Amino acid sequence: MEKKDIIQSFKDSLFTGLIALALFGPIVGLRTVSKGEGLFITPQWGVVFLLVGLCILGRFLININSARRTEFKIFSTLSSKFSSVTEDKAKHFAITGILFAVVFPFLPFTDRYFMDVAIMILTYIMLGWGLNIVVGLAGLLDLGYVAFYAVGAYSYALIATTFGWSFWICLPLAGVFAAFFGILLGFPVLRLRGDYLAIVTLGFGEIIRIILINWYEVTNGPDGITGIPRPSFFGLPFKRSPDEGETSFHLFFNLEYSTMHRIIFLYYLILVLALITNYFTLKIRKLPVGRAWEALREDEIACKSLGVNPTNTKLTAFAIGAMFGGFAGSFFATRQAFISPESFTFIESAIIVAIVVLGGMGSQTGVVLASIFLIGITEMFRDLEQYRMIAFGGAMVLIMVFKPKGILANRKPTILMHGDKK
Amino acid sequence: MSNLLSVENLTMKFGGLTAIDDLSFDAKNNQITSIIGPNGAGKTTVFNCLTGFYKPTNGQMFLHKEDSKISLRKYTDFKIAYVAKVARTFQNIRLFPAMSVLENLLVAQHNELMVASGYSLFGLLNLKTYRDKEQLAVDKAKYWLDIIGLTHRADDNAGDLPYGDQRKLEIVRAMCIEPRLLCLDEPAAGLNPKESAELNKLLKFIKTEKQTGILLIEHDMSVVMGISDHVVVLNYGKKIFEGTADQTKNSKEVIEAYLGVDE
Repeated sequence: MEKKDIIQSFKDSLFTGLIALALFGPIVGLRTVSKGEGLFITPQWGVVFLLVGLCILGRFLININSARRTEFKIFSTLSSKFSSVTEDKAKHFAITGILFAVVFPFLPFTDRYFMDVAIMILTYIMLGWGLNIVVGLAGLLDLGYVAFYAVGAYSYALIATTFGWSFWICLPLAGVFAAFFGILLGFPVLRLRGDYLAIVTLGFGEIIRIILINWYEVTNGPDGITGIPRPSFFGLPFKRSPDEGETSFHLFFNLEYSTMHRIIFLYYLILVLALITNYFTLKIRKLPVGRAWEALREDEIACKSLGVNPTNTKLTAFAIGAMFGGFAGSFFATRQAFISPESFTFIESAIIVAIVVLGGMGSQTGVVLASIFLIGITEMFRDLEQYRMIAFGGAMVLIMVFKPKGILANRKPTILMHGDKK
Repeated sequence: MSNLLSVENLTMKFGGLTAIDDLSFDAKNNQITSIIGPNGAGKTTVFNCLTGFYKPTNGQMFLHKEDSKISLRKYTDFKIAYVAKVARTFQNIRLFPAMSVLENLLVAQHNELMVASGYSLFGLLNLKTYRDKEQLAVDKAKYWLDIIGLTHRADDNAGDLPYGDQRKLEIVRAMCIEPRLLCLDEPAAGLNPKESAELNKLLKFIKTEKQTGILLIEHDMSVVMGISDHVVVLNYGKKIFEGTADQTKNSKEVIEAYLGVDE
């Protein structure tokens, strides 16, 4: 490494430090504390300098690493470890992953907390897979995906509480409603692309949330909907003491009553729903409509010149993506038994988009890895309360530095003429 | 030889600018008709009108079919390719770069495959009828790839091909929709002499073997003079000359338009 390079990287790092100082200074440094009758500012410069120091050091290491010298091998080996996980190996990875997911609830270290985190990760994986159709395949940047999640959840909640129908009837209905809203959103945004599309979809997400807050007669406004029926195991409810004339799950199978039964059932439910989403996406990607989605992402004008109807193609992408969002939403509603508009804020959309983009646009396995990485890390730092979002941001920065195109960016053709050559 | 396309009094205005001014010409079946002219003469605008990207201010364009004729004005957008079977390529290549060569050719057969897959339903059920149709589509793609000698690269990304091969791929992709009229916008731009010669061969093959008329915009005179049956010369949106390649070469008006007039 030449001296010039080092000085250059050092300068650059100091500049990064300056930006970090400008950001962290007011955000972290000036803390407001309410004492007695007033609000006082307590400076905490120590923390600020620690954070700025970390930024300078990190930037310096990245700079030196990118100068491609052998002295600092840590980063390059780390990043090549990641790249070795190509889509080819992804198949083995997927099978191992599914097997692990199936036995997960019965592993010795699995407790209630682990199960909850796993269910949450699986929900995000399913949402990621659903959004992958819209963003990854069709290339339509949708920042309001949470709207369909909300439509699914509210449709499920309203139908189930009003008519008392079972989960298995309400689930497809919720999917249909969400798909309908997908088409509803699709029509006005047909001509838009890129940034403009992103802004309109973002607005759509907010519109849905605000309607949910204000349409008090139907949605019960900010109070949300309570008492959403829990799913039953093919007619057997998970209750300690079932109503008269009913048999509950633990009595039927002669088990000791445990709240874990329901958690495990919910876990398998979301696992199956997510796998269905995945299977469907993998299949449809190889069909003409899937190829048309990808072609539309690549070049819309060329698509038109070949007679591909862009309207129908986009609308199917929106509708199918929204349908899976709706399924995930009804699962969310039945799991929580309570929903309110607060669960469907913009940050949810942002997290799902982040999962799809960081996973590698269009890569199904990438979505899984990104969900585990992003949600898992954020959960690990839950004790830090609001600072855990720093971990979330840090995880995003790490992926962007090492894998700027996403964790798994390799795309495999949907059809091969010469078969697999290894 | 019968008429394939007749353009009648075509006019296209953008605000105060008249890009095409009262243009009329015919193109015949199994012939290559070239449109040439200096930069800004309105050649690409003619294409954009023909292929439904622009709606002309005035005038008519007819595509003749046995004894009936259809007006291209009625079709816009994707329907030009889907219903009227007019295909085109672009001045700056528009392939689907991140998709494989074979996939590019299958997207061109989207509409037939969409019906064959029962709008995805049969496809999801993996029925044999769909798989057979898909195989036919792959065979058709292979037929064209054999002709341009790219079969060995069928599974590579289209964006990874050399420039000349991308040009040829774009042309055969357009041919995969089985067009009656093929509009090529500067297919020889950026090609070396050897690639230009291959392009000439490909265009001659399409002209003689397929029931397709070709409309060509080109600056490369070796291509224009080598293969055109008929040449239309535009300048400032007006037709200044029409005739065979040899007649064009010796026309005083054409030389003036390109090189200017002696004072």
